[in-house]
Amino acid sequence: MTDDHGTIDELLAGHVLRSLTGADAAEADRLLTDHVPGCIECRTTLEGFRRLSGDMGLAAEPVTPPETLLPRLRRELDAEGARRRPMRVVAVAAGVAAVVGLAGLSLSQNIRANNADVRADSMAEAAVLASRPDARMVDVGPVQELSAPGEEILYVMGDGVPMPPEGSVYRAWIVSDETPTFVGEFLPDEGWVFLEIPFDPTVHDDLWISVEPADAPTDEPVSTERWSASAVA
Amino acid sequence: MRDADRDDLELHRGLAAGDRGAFETLYRRYSPSAYGLAYRITGQQVLAQDVVHDAFLALWRAPEAYDPARGALRTFFLSLVHHRAVDTVRREERIRARQDRASNLEPVTVEDPAEGVTDAADLAERRIEVRAALDTLPPDQRQVLELAYYGGRTQVQIAEEIDIPIGTVKTRTLAAMRKLRRVLDRSEAPEGA
Repeated sequence: MTDDHGTIDELLAGHVLRSLTGADAAEADRLLTDHVPGCIECRTTLEGFRRLSGDMGLAAEPVTPPETLLPRLRRELDAEGARRRPMRVVAVAAGVAAVVGLAGLSLSQNIRANNADVRADSMAEAAVLASRPDARMVDVGPVQELSAPGEEILYVMGDGVPMPPEGSVYRAWIVSDETPTFVGEFLPDEGWVFLEIPFDPTVHDDLWISVEPADAPTDEPVSTERWSASAVA
Repeated sequence: MRDADRDDLELHRGLAAGDRGAFETLYRRYSPSAYGLAYRITGQQVLAQDVVHDAFLALWRAPEAYDPARGALRTFFLSLVHHRAVDTVRREERIRARQDRASNLEPVTVEDPAEGVTDAADLAERRIEVRAALDTLPPDQRQVLELAYYGGRTQVQIAEEIDIPIGTVKTRTLAAMRKLRRVLDRSEAPEGA
């Protein structure tokens, strides 16, 4: 794990540029949930890099988009009509107090509040995904799974999600050929849940949510209180 | 804060209230910059169009994703466009790699660049500042930064492409971003500050 700010700054720079892969990407995700929210120096650095990322976009030559683009957007906004925010994901996003980006198959991550960097990106991405006509929203026990064909990410969200019994946590698992791999664990924050989970549809075929004793091993679910996304597809 | 940024805040409040007029004003203001950026990164008009479409739709559907305390709406939005464009490039690379493996297809041909446009005075001014700041970077730092930002390359890909250790990619990237940030922060600060 990284704890010197020179190395952290390198990871934050790569994160903002979206140029990290593998262990560096996982370490950046860990820092964004574990370290950055409580470190004013890192928050300042990250915000500076984010502003820079936006500014650098201006260096590209502006180009008038095709004339069809605005009418296409208008049609989609018209279709929404008075239902300004029809998708549940947006309702979640509006009130969400806690968001976590789970780093692949790495460590268990309890939900952390106020990770604004992850929250803004994830909410915007989830909103786009939810707007696709082929997006799929299914109940998985107390939460919902949002996914779409060809996307290598899915979202788990819910509001009014009950707390599990004392001493227990919710756990997320991605499944290949009925073999679950632990992704992370979470507790609702005032009933809100919003998770972003990498999911390769060419490898994974299901998402499970289970309620487990907090001290249970994570090599496989031990509880029978378990829900499958594919069971309701 | 610049006048244009204050105007954007008002438009953002309009978005949050579901004001279609605010949306269209923001579209007219930022679509050339967004499309130019997406086009530069993806190299294909159809992909660039999808990127800009998705970014504006995201802004409309989740305006609360932008926090005014974190900077100008302009930088938030173009950062969103950048992220989506890079993700699109990566997805296309994976698809192309699968297709290449399957049928040995020729690489996709990059389209001719579209005609440039003139945009709002404040954006043009900032554009000049950003380009001037990029010109201050040492060539080796600028190369690494541009491969990552405009080329959508990962640090591993950059290391392989220009044959330097990945640690050097990281240090050059950080040095470039720190220097650019300093230069641009100075140029953005009010006179006398």
